Amino acid sequence: MTIATVLRPTSLAEAAAALADTTGSVRIVGAGTAADWAGSPEPADVVLSTTALTGVIVHNPGDMTVAVRAGTPLRELNAMLAVHGQRVASDAARVDLGATIGGLVATADAGPSALVYGCLRDLVIGATVMLADGTVARTGGHVIKNVAGYDLAKLVHGCHGTLALIAELVLRLHPLPGATSTVRLIGSLADSAEAARAVLASPLEPVACEWSNGALLVRLAGTPGALPARLATLLGSAARRLDAAEQEAAWAAHAALVAGPGSRPHVDRAVLRVGARPSRLPAVIAELTSELGATGVTAGLATGVGTVTLPADPDVVARAHQLVYGVGGSSMLRSRPPGCVAPAWGPAPSAIEVLRAVQAELDPRGRLGAGRFHPWM
Amino acid sequence: MTRIDATAQRGFDRVLGAENVISDRARLRSYECDGLTGYRVIPALVLLPRTAEQVAAAVRVCAEHGITFVARGAGTGLSGGALPVADGVVISLQRLRRVLAVDPVDRLAVLEPGVTNLEITKAAAPYGLYYAPDPSSQQVCTIGGNVAENSGGAHCLKYGFTTNHVLALEVVLADGSVVTLGGDTTEQLGPDLRGVFLGSEGTLGIATKVTVRLLRTPEAVRTLLADFPSVAAAGEVVSDIIAGGIVPAAVEMMDTLAIEAAEAAVCAGYTLGVPAALVVELDGPAQECHNQFERVKAICEAHGCTRLHIAADAEERAAIWRGRKSAFAAVGRISPDYFVQDGVVPRTRLAEVLSRIGEMGEAVGLRVANVFHAGDGNLHPLVLYDASAGETARAEKLSAEIAELCVELGGSLSGEHGIGTDKACSMPKMFSEADLELMGRVRDAFDPGGLCNPGKLLPTPRLCGERPGKYRPHPLEAAGVIERL
Amino acid sequence: MSTPSAFDPHRPPSRELLDDCVHCGFCLPTCPTYQLWGEEMDSPRGRIYLMSLAEQGEIGLDGALHEHIDACLGCMACVSSCPSGVRYDRLLEAVRPQLERNVPRSRSDRLFRNVIFALFPHRRRLQVAAAIGVVYQKLRGLPAMARLTERVAGMGATFARLAALEALLPPVRLRDAFAALPERIPAAGTARRRVALLTGCVQDVFFHQVNVATARVLAAEGCEVLVPRHQHCCGALELHSGRELSAIARAQRTIATFEKLPVDAIITNVAGCGSSMKQYGELLADDPAWATRAAAFSATVRDVHEVLAELEPVAPRHPVRARVVYHDACHLGHAQGVRAQPRAVLRTVPGLRLVEAAETELCCGSAGIYNLVAPDAAAELGARKAANIRAAHPDLVVTANPGCLLQLRRHLAATSGDAFVPLMHPVQVLDASIRGTAPAMD
Repeated sequence: MTIATVLRPTSLAEAAAALADTTGSVRIVGAGTAADWAGSPEPADVVLSTTALTGVIVHNPGDMTVAVRAGTPLRELNAMLAVHGQRVASDAARVDLGATIGGLVATADAGPSALVYGCLRDLVIGATVMLADGTVARTGGHVIKNVAGYDLAKLVHGCHGTLALIAELVLRLHPLPGATSTVRLIGSLADSAEAARAVLASPLEPVACEWSNGALLVRLAGTPGALPARLATLLGSAARRLDAAEQEAAWAAHAALVAGPGSRPHVDRAVLRVGARPSRLPAVIAELTSELGATGVTAGLATGVGTVTLPADPDVVARAHQLVYGVGGSSMLRSRPPGCVAPAWGPAPSAIEVLRAVQAELDPRGRLGAGRFHPWM
Repeated sequence: MTRIDATAQRGFDRVLGAENVISDRARLRSYECDGLTGYRVIPALVLLPRTAEQVAAAVRVCAEHGITFVARGAGTGLSGGALPVADGVVISLQRLRRVLAVDPVDRLAVLEPGVTNLEITKAAAPYGLYYAPDPSSQQVCTIGGNVAENSGGAHCLKYGFTTNHVLALEVVLADGSVVTLGGDTTEQLGPDLRGVFLGSEGTLGIATKVTVRLLRTPEAVRTLLADFPSVAAAGEVVSDIIAGGIVPAAVEMMDTLAIEAAEAAVCAGYTLGVPAALVVELDGPAQECHNQFERVKAICEAHGCTRLHIAADAEERAAIWRGRKSAFAAVGRISPDYFVQDGVVPRTRLAEVLSRIGEMGEAVGLRVANVFHAGDGNLHPLVLYDASAGETARAEKLSAEIAELCVELGGSLSGEHGIGTDKACSMPKMFSEADLELMGRVRDAFDPGGLCNPGKLLPTPRLCGERPGKYRPHPLEAAGVIERL
Repeated sequence: MSTPSAFDPHRPPSRELLDDCVHCGFCLPTCPTYQLWGEEMDSPRGRIYLMSLAEQGEIGLDGALHEHIDACLGCMACVSSCPSGVRYDRLLEAVRPQLERNVPRSRSDRLFRNVIFALFPHRRRLQVAAAIGVVYQKLRGLPAMARLTERVAGMGATFARLAALEALLPPVRLRDAFAALPERIPAAGTARRRVALLTGCVQDVFFHQVNVATARVLAAEGCEVLVPRHQHCCGALELHSGRELSAIARAQRTIATFEKLPVDAIITNVAGCGSSMKQYGELLADDPAWATRAAAFSATVRDVHEVLAELEPVAPRHPVRARVVYHDACHLGHAQGVRAQPRAVLRTVPGLRLVEAAETELCCGSAGIYNLVAPDAAAELGARKAANIRAAHPDLVVTANPGCLLQLRRHLAATSGDAFVPLMHPVQVLDASIRGTAPAMD
């Protein structure tokens, strides 16, 4: 096995050169918080790290947009934006682990507040990408509203290091909410599904609605003046408003479940990300729990997106994919122990031929991210 | 003019029934343009399928015979995106207009492409739900067209565009195969091809089934109409609202001429003669909405608002929106002819771009009416002219210059109308050779034969003249199917 | 070099009016034929496009233009929905006579249309037809007759049209068909207005009770009502079908009958008649002998609901406890813009709850003679309208046009198995409320 060359470009030009001046396979890495997600990467000749491709390119608070280099950790970016009362409205669990904005986009990661703000695909308004031959191309722009040309930022959202390197991103920003509160409603997953349905049918407009650790967490954002009265309707014997510290702890605990036990040796568990219609999610999670011993459940009862931790056994994971696909959902394996050979993906999507054709056009020699979509392409 | 051979014609007749294939010239001509009538091409045939299966079957006939096809919804597009191709067919989706499902629990709807935007909300309303994107033509334009154009609307500042609300698409690809892009949730299996397809203007395939998210109807909606002594003052109000951390559902601005036109059309209660009017709408939980609305009112007053009209009920609110949404078409009442432009600038450069537009109009002696989505910097300058006075060329030039000015100011050629036929040749102003080539490669991946709505969105040497840079032969050309003249 | 217009020089559609259309398509969803067929040529925008091509000489009058103009119901929903103010009504009324003059119809089509126009505008012939109809309706109860009707209905397009005519025939009481109102009905109490009433042809024969109710309600609300004895058809059906010459003759006769009356308003309770009489000014604008008289006449014409809505109610109302759907007749709503007034008038009735059906702007398919000449399309629209109305669960449906009443009766009945839904003219409800009787539901 060859030892990979590690390149750590500090500019667009260096990054382009890193691709243009090398041959052979390339694995793109960021902060490494999702290195063990999706298909296992094949050994690469070049490891291209984005961690030096950092910093804000331009931030105009009045326009509520920011252009940033892709290796910038979102946590740092948001700390800088907070000074202006703004943020990139993504609360993916990995953000606090130091995930880069480019990495979050490449892995299509999202957190509970995607319910209201959407995933990063909804927040990215422009991108600079680099093809395997070093070609630099831009898509989108610096304005929120823009339909000129194909929206190719979407193509790298969830590309897992294939197709192209994400070098720069332009994002739309949201104001920081004046106040945020969380109500915890103790209850089983099935009961919480009913409770979530009622919350969603009410005028509360929660920004997150997640079940984990035996309770439904409903997060509301708004103005300090109006929030207490809005919350009041939710409170009851099994439902309590969390104070600031409790709120932080509850969501940190949720994030910890999403992140899973991590890919440490001797931890024989893997995290499966699951998407299914909200009405079908509780049942499929119940099956994963009873049949396959899933633990560490988080269930987005409004988004239909959840995570479970499973034994890192290929048959168990294959069966889990099957169960999720059985209800029309989709699933992807996230972090798992080194050497785990469980299938990362379920059956190939119907558009797999298009995906292969896109790869053939953009990266005809298949240099980037080989193995990530095994066995699809 | 019909150069579709008899075998292909029989193929269409077989899959659709001959009565659903239009071939007589007079009838074909009613399909020769969409909402942008400046471009007209008579198609060889118009196909009227009723089902997704028929669409796929018709596309297979096209693929078999190398016939280009253009999908058409309600034909309301303003960039010539549904302009037919001579020797090609138009596939009208106006007979696929069933609402296939409304699921109030999972808050989604499944639609055929010919369902109008407004019908989605009508179908969802009994459950207290609605479909958020609301282009001004929402009563007419179809979800299929919205998907092709990634349509926005007045409320996209807060709620986003079609792409933010479509979960899944069933798509007929150029070879007639049927695939699903996206799924029941936002979780993705690999790159977001759904997102690539959205806004691709019919060049990557035909959407035959669309799954959209529905939102809960907000508890409260507050709308105000405020008059200002200058466009600049109105612009400052918008900046202050945004700086105050408020994300209004909509912020719309109209200038004197646009107000005059809208009033002539629908008598919505706008003040004639004022330099600028703002429509600000907030929605959400009642108390939040109320608090923010009070702040918006204070901001309006602080900037010298000369009249503040707050909609007292749903009817008054509807009247305000009727005025705004009819503004384009209503301009016909104050000018014999006009071009609608659609450009975007960073919101902070609104005042600058408006004064530049004013100067440019004055310099060539043409009036420009302005209607725009002020919250997101999306301008719709309407260049007024009189064709019978020979002003057409001048007006067209001014309109194109305004779009390019937007790019120069860091914005975009189009915020919602799309590139289509109209702006394909301006694309190199906004995108580099490499950017466009990447788009071209993606197009080739979806449609290697170039059969899907050719000549739209991307500049072609045939339409725009040769550009410097490497020329990639068209696959059909490489295959000897077509040759360059 | 432009080719000459395909239209003849007698009042062709004007280029200015054609150019008003900016092709935005806002008319599409309200156009009944576009809703049915989803074809551009059968939308207002498409029809205007074809007219425009013909005006430029690029297509002829026969073929596409003729067929798609024929397929238009003339409901004018597009006029209501057009943000650019395109006068499709004027364009259609310019084009239809052109087609009638210049494009020969097939023999059977011509004969059928001649039958219609030999019958409908003529009160006496209608009375005879009604008499035959009474006999026929009795006979229809016999199994042999029913079988014959079915056989006839299965014999192709012309017979389909005859079957459509048969299916529409309302149950008529012979006494009503031959009845006439007195020439003067005094106001109850102090007269607030003096008005003349057009009793109509179809209306007076098939819906005489509506005229009776109209006269009673107007009188109760303080109107002295004059009913000229020698009035004739106003020409609405012919005007809307492009039979310009006979429409003009009828217009002149109607003007002559009414203009000498010393009245504040000339009132009609029929949507189609109102819209045509309000148009006399335009119809006769080119005739120096008639232009002024016609304009003056048209300015005096009012729909009965317009007058009632203006008058502060004086007659006490008794409650009518019912959920009521008001169906907008196209020629009242779209052509005259009278939508609020009938609803306002109905709201003066205590206990009455107005409910709106879906797709109020969409035509029921009656459209003058449309349900006779295009029975399939009309039936589809009728069924759709009936389904929308049923979904609103009314106890009673009201509408102010005999064509709509006939069409709705047929289609509300056709969805049998559902509850019977009575149909009336709004003034009949008001009349019942004022008189304190239960509405006489037919």
